[in-house]
Amino acid sequence: MKKIETSLATLKNDLASFYNPAEHHFMVMNAVEMGEKMEVQWFFCDYAHPCETTCFFTLIERGEEVPSIKDIVDSAWVAEAELVDLMNINVENTAKGFVLEPDFESGPLLKKK
Amino acid sequence: MNTFFSAIGNLFKEPVTTKYPFEPTYKPDDYRGLIGFEESLCIWCRRCELACPPGAIVFSQDMEGKQTYHYNRAVCIYCGECVRACPKEGALFQTAEPAPCALKEENINNGWNQLFDEALDSREKFAAEKKRKAAEKAAADKAAAAAKKAAEEQAGTNNETSAG
Amino acid sequence: MGKQYEIPVGAQHISLLEPLHFRFTTENEKIVKTDANVFYVHRGIEQACCSKFKFRQVSFVVGRVCGLCSISHTTAYSQVAEKLLKIEIPRRAKYLRMLVIELDRIHSHLLCLSHVAENSGFEALFMKTMQYREFSMELLEAVCGNRIQYDFSIVGGVTRDLKPEVADMILKRLDHFMPQLEELIGIYKNNWTLSLKNKGVGRISKEDAMRLNVVGPFARAAGLAVDVRNETEDLLPWKEVGYEMITDTAGDVHARNMVRLREIEVSIRIIRNVIAGLPESDLVTETKAFPEGEATVRLEAPRGELFYYAKGNKTQVLERLKIKAPTFSNVAGMVHAFTNNEYASAPAIIASYDPCLSCTAR
Ligand code: SF4
Ligand code: SF4
Repeated sequence: MKKIETSLATLKNDLASFYNPAEHHFMVMNAVEMGEKMEVQWFFCDYAHPCETTCFFTLIERGEEVPSIKDIVDSAWVAEAELVDLMNINVENTAKGFVLEPDFESGPLLKKK
Repeated sequence: MNTFFSAIGNLFKEPVTTKYPFEPTYKPDDYRGLIGFEESLCIWCRRCELACPPGAIVFSQDMEGKQTYHYNRAVCIYCGECVRACPKEGALFQTAEPAPCALKEENINNGWNQLFDEALDSREKFAAEKKRKAAEKAAADKAAAAAKKAAEEQAGTNNETSAG
Repeated sequence: MGKQYEIPVGAQHISLLEPLHFRFTTENEKIVKTDANVFYVHRGIEQACCSKFKFRQVSFVVGRVCGLCSISHTTAYSQVAEKLLKIEIPRRAKYLRMLVIELDRIHSHLLCLSHVAENSGFEALFMKTMQYREFSMELLEAVCGNRIQYDFSIVGGVTRDLKPEVADMILKRLDHFMPQLEELIGIYKNNWTLSLKNKGVGRISKEDAMRLNVVGPFARAAGLAVDVRNETEDLLPWKEVGYEMITDTAGDVHARNMVRLREIEVSIRIIRNVIAGLPESDLVTETKAFPEGEATVRLEAPRGELFYYAKGNKTQVLERLKIKAPTFSNVAGMVHAFTNNEYASAPAIIASYDPCLSCTAR
């Protein structure tokens, strides 16, 4: 797995210059709690053999807004909606209520304090 | 058209399903069934309890330290982890027997939860008792040692005085 | 523009096997827009795996994510844990894992095919496919000791060995199944009634499949050659046992049926090769280490690419486990492929996606 650090400001540029639909496919987004901060990850994989998994990551503060990559990767809305519901991350232009019912207490995967 | 004729033909064939319960269904001889326990071989190391994913095995302990094995067939997922974890060959083994249905009288869920908590409690009590006894013993030992020392000192001073 | 109607399908619907909710906007019977909701079966498995269970027990927990591809989940988790522990598993264990994964693929594909037939209104073919599927369930029971929850892969290897008589039984049953598979291929390919409901229905183009990152038979039927078995070889040696990529170009329900049927043929070949070339070695690599660091694993489940991410912190309990199921990747493509189809075709299209919602919502 190749890990590339990015930042919220440069994320969209980095992904736009990296992502080529004919070469890579977008797999999923993930978030890991790192104490007070959170690491948000975007996973890509290529179609070639042997394939390589590429992970873009950035550290964010809790509650900080993450830019949406829907306009770069068309299917990213599913992964973004999942993170909003399960990890209580604030993603630009994404509403609650896709993986969990809208009135559910959000962030069930966060570590219990 | 072929499908049509074979469909008509099928009307005159025997059913392909097994006539359970009049005939037995297929079951391999190493089917993953109930877990058996052989008390005489067990060394009470509780590794099976630690390994079991759903917590279907628990040991309770009485005040003398004697442990009892409890197993719930409705919680067990028949994975065999306990058998692999057991250091003593033959103490735990997996039979090919499917679990019988649970009956209402058995109170298999709530009853088990209660038993589970009680078993953990009983072990805690035993450990606390053991600790208390150990502490008592240590205190007694200490007291005895102190008394002995005092006695020795006393004896020493006595000797001294007598010598003086 | 005609009058638009909104028709909900699910969460409980006779043609749906799983609680999935679609809201179709239709115009003159044509679907113009689809919304989906998957929020009925979230069970918090990832949270349980990172709090309640120790890392060796997690392989049994993730087996319960999905009943149909239980072995794919346990194997993918075991592989990711092995990466964190930095151990290599014995070759025989790798071969046995491939054997069970392929047997599982046969039964899962046949199940999907039978449901496509049923949802297209062809009950007799549903019965026939289910009848022929039974052999694979019995083989899995003979190999793993259980029909559904195989609990076959554990961290470090596999739990049971393949007995010679079971290997013989597998080969015999496969020989017996071959003509039945031919028969099924004949029916699914040429049956005129079925073709009315399947050909040209639920079509997705290769460009759209690529753009929406579709995986599994859904993508391969559209001509997008994506298969993890083709892309990785470090964990399981797929090429060695005769793996071959199957693709089609049409991208409709019929093409998906054909891809699945021909993949069953490939699976049978892999199983035969695995049994013929089964290496002799131990079954489990023992270690006393604790998981540390980060790792990802991809594995081809019957429905497509399965992805596991795990992070360990040198204790018994993992820091984070992320599961991405194949259907999760396909949601965007699924919603897209309904557009411009008759509403009456929707059940067959849904079945042909082979959706697994328990995996998606976890
Ligand atoms: S078979 Fe598995 S679930 Fe059953 S008691 Fe043993 S370890 Fe526990
Ligand atoms: S692991 Fe075996 S020896 Fe140890 S307590 Fe369990 S049954 Fe007894």
